[in-house]
Amino acid sequence: MTRLRHIWRSMPLRLAILLVALFATVSLLSLAASYAVTQSSFEETIRADLQQDLAGFRAAPSARAVAQLVEAESRAADPGRLILSYVARDGRIYGNGAIAQDEGGFHIFSLNPDRAEFEGEYLSLTNPLYGGVITIARSRAEIVALRGVFVNILLISLLPTVLIALSGGLILARRSKRHVEVVGAALDKMTSGDLGARVQIGPRWSDDLVRIGGKLNQMAAAQEAQMGALRDVTSDIAHDLRTPLQRVALYVQDLSDRVADDPESAVLASKVQGEVDGMTHVFHALLQLAQVETGSPKARFETVDLTQVCRKVVEVFEDSAVASGHDLSLDLVAEPLALQGDRALLGQMVSNLIENALRHTPSGTEITVSLRGQEGAVVLQVADTGPGIPADERGKVLQRLYRLDRSRQTPGHGLGLSLVQAVAGLHGAQLSLQNNAPGLRVDVRFPTKVG
Amino acid sequence: MKLLVVEDDATTGSYIARGLREEGHVVDLVANGRDGLIAATSGGYEVIVLDRMLPEVDGLTLLKTLRGAGTLTPVLLLTALGEVEDRIEGLQAGADDYLAKPFAFGELSARVAALARRPQALEAETVLKAADLEMNLITRKVTRGDVEIDLLPREFALLEHLMRRKGRVQTRTMLLESVWDIGFDPGTNVVETHVSRLRAKVDKPFRRELIETVRGAGYRIVA
Repeated sequence: MTRLRHIWRSMPLRLAILLVALFATVSLLSLAASYAVTQSSFEETIRADLQQDLAGFRAAPSARAVAQLVEAESRAADPGRLILSYVARDGRIYGNGAIAQDEGGFHIFSLNPDRAEFEGEYLSLTNPLYGGVITIARSRAEIVALRGVFVNILLISLLPTVLIALSGGLILARRSKRHVEVVGAALDKMTSGDLGARVQIGPRWSDDLVRIGGKLNQMAAAQEAQMGALRDVTSDIAHDLRTPLQRVALYVQDLSDRVADDPESAVLASKVQGEVDGMTHVFHALLQLAQVETGSPKARFETVDLTQVCRKVVEVFEDSAVASGHDLSLDLVAEPLALQGDRALLGQMVSNLIENALRHTPSGTEITVSLRGQEGAVVLQVADTGPGIPADERGKVLQRLYRLDRSRQTPGHGLGLSLVQAVAGLHGAQLSLQNNAPGLRVDVRFPTKVG
Repeated sequence: MKLLVVEDDATTGSYIARGLREEGHVVDLVANGRDGLIAATSGGYEVIVLDRMLPEVDGLTLLKTLRGAGTLTPVLLLTALGEVEDRIEGLQAGADDYLAKPFAFGELSARVAALARRPQALEAETVLKAADLEMNLITRKVTRGDVEIDLLPREFALLEHLMRRKGRVQTRTMLLESVWDIGFDPGTNVVETHVSRLRAKVDKPFRRELIETVRGAGYRIVA
């Protein structure tokens, strides 16, 4: 049904139908006109014949002579074609049929269908003659037959034309639909991060589609080049930053080794060390985010059991959770839930979500990591019973480096959820923040069916 | 050990070289890929520390050329984009281990040591021993002297890992990778907590401490 609707909405079919309708209307009108003209000319001929017949009878000198003439002629006439009838003044009827009309002039009539010899329509002329009434009727069979002829013309010429035009339109519509689908598939690939995707233009494509496909390919190539440039810049920055960072890290280490005996200096050195570690952490997080966002890790996707990933990561956080007074628990189903993905990145995603929950909720908060298989999806949930996030701020926390006002005092660089979102995007998963009433619930919905 | 360090930043290079020398190694330091390739193919090194981005011949190219020529010397690759992608690329090119810049010297030193020992297979016996500490891998019984020690599964795995690499420093990230099977830093103190729990059971009740903390690097079991 939807397929039919798609085809109906395509351009070539609509054009074909419009043209067919126009052609059919014009043909019908001209056929109708020729029918009318032909019919009236036939009718004229019959009238002229009738008038000539009447003139012949009028030429007879008396009523008796008319009666004799009518009798004679009606004997020779085929009643299927010509009926003669003379009702004399005394009421006697002559001829091969009693078809007197009350009024004079032309009439069209049909006789009783029981009498086979008078089948069909007749045109009659009635006229008073010598005190009686003479009626002459000629068959209109030819005119009636004319209708059939015209219907045949209609069936033989118009219908096939309409059918051919319609099926041609349908074929064109399906072909153009296929071509448009090729363009659409390439676009889908590009949107999902494969900037190397191109529209494969077929040899029989229409010019405008070829142009659109060409433009799309140009656009994708330009974007790919830009992405490449961006990656180069990122790696240049990385190279330029890592050397000084590396030197600072080594200097600081050297320094703390030297001042190990002086407690005050040692504290200072370890503070510097801490800051360097923090910088390194942000540096790595930014680089990693940039890499994930290019979509390139897709190339090494493998089958990952998300259940196992959750179990491992939760175990690593258990001690920290106990230490900060959080109640961290795991809610899994027995069977493994596998999907195509990057094991390390998925682990980091779960890790960031748990870390966020631990960091932004007070002691005593319950944090539950759960995993469910649903129709065509695997849903990962990290829910807490903490203060939650106001609805109007939920979108903002996904922005890079955004931090809630109340979180400014807590450590963290604001890249954690950005990475979660980037990793979700990489896996085609939907990330959403929900009200856990009370608290925050982060849902990550991974589609398990490719398509 | 005779080591080769290929690093284009003079400061970092000389720090690494100095640190490794202080640990008793013989270190040759070269600053570009071309010299690195010549030095590496001339052979005689036990481990090569190779920077990924180098002038003249890039680190990955050097590595591929080296492996193409059949040189099997273990290589520790240093990279800036310290994340999974580079790691995979590096390992595919033939690196044996990988370290993200910036790194702490202790991490580098521990990994170099681990690479050098790699050809000698891990101790294959079913009973691991260090001083009076004994670990039976089949019965999963741990004893020190006559005292039996109860360990949780993860504590057991941690101790086993350290015992198998007796005398060699294992860094936090190395332990996270091997004992917890986690390829990223979750930022928790899970390693520290487990080491201190292990100490409470294995060391505290006894006179001699066997689990040693190496400052700025990691932990090791005293040989």
